[in-house]
Amino acid sequence: MTVTVKMAAVIQKLTDNQKEFTADGNDIYNLILNIENRYPGFQSQILTESEEVHQFLNIYVNDEDIRFLAGLQTIINAGDTVSFLPALAGGQ
Amino acid sequence: MLRMFYGGNVWKSIVIIEIPIYFKNFIIEHAENDVPNEACGIIHSKNGQPSSIHKVTNRANSPYRYEMDGLQQLNLEKIRDENGENLFAIYHSHVATEAKPSPTDIRMAFFPPGSFNSEPMFDNIYYVLVSLAHDNADVRFYKINKGPSVEEITVKFV
Repeated sequence: MTVTVKMAAVIQKLTDNQKEFTADGNDIYNLILNIENRYPGFQSQILTESEEVHQFLNIYVNDEDIRFLAGLQTIINAGDTVSFLPALAGGQ
Repeated sequence: MLRMFYGGNVWKSIVIIEIPIYFKNFIIEHAENDVPNEACGIIHSKNGQPSSIHKVTNRANSPYRYEMDGLQQLNLEKIRDENGENLFAIYHSHVATEAKPSPTDIRMAFFPPGSFNSEPMFDNIYYVLVSLAHDNADVRFYKINKGPSVEEITVKFV
């Protein structure tokens, strides 16, 4: 399935400064592997060594956070938009 | 840049910036309204001057930490592109502690968090802290740089 991938400004360096592009994948994990083929190093910034999404990175399929869907196994469909963005977070 | 040692790992800059007092009042009101939880938001700029301010939902719903809602972040990025604005500052409140970046705040200014030998996630923006720990709210501006080093900016509210 071909989806639109959007990268938040602060992590566009991972995708050769591409803000938006299309990529293929059946689910989020497969999509990340395909992006890694195009932009080596992408996967290691998105996933931990145990292949989980880094705690402070958010991935959305359209308007839904994949944490509330099926995580990396979330199925994606043609025409979906998948957004990657680091969490803006902190605390006392 | 001229700097003087301020305490802890924070440097106080000699440089003074002017910020319309509207932004200070907006941040304090937002912080007070969101008690007991931390409040957070984003300030945009145009031609180097703050131009708009936006509340963002704190997904953490916590008195001790904040995490900005991702979709609102993306929408604000789109608004900046459409309006020719830039990211100027990220603000959040400390409900019971001083208006100074915490170790967590500093760590989270980098991506991946804590990668202090890299450039911070955002280049050349301000981190604004509002403290509600005392009777009068305290609003302070900082820059967080590689290292990390933290620099307090002297602000004149006009």
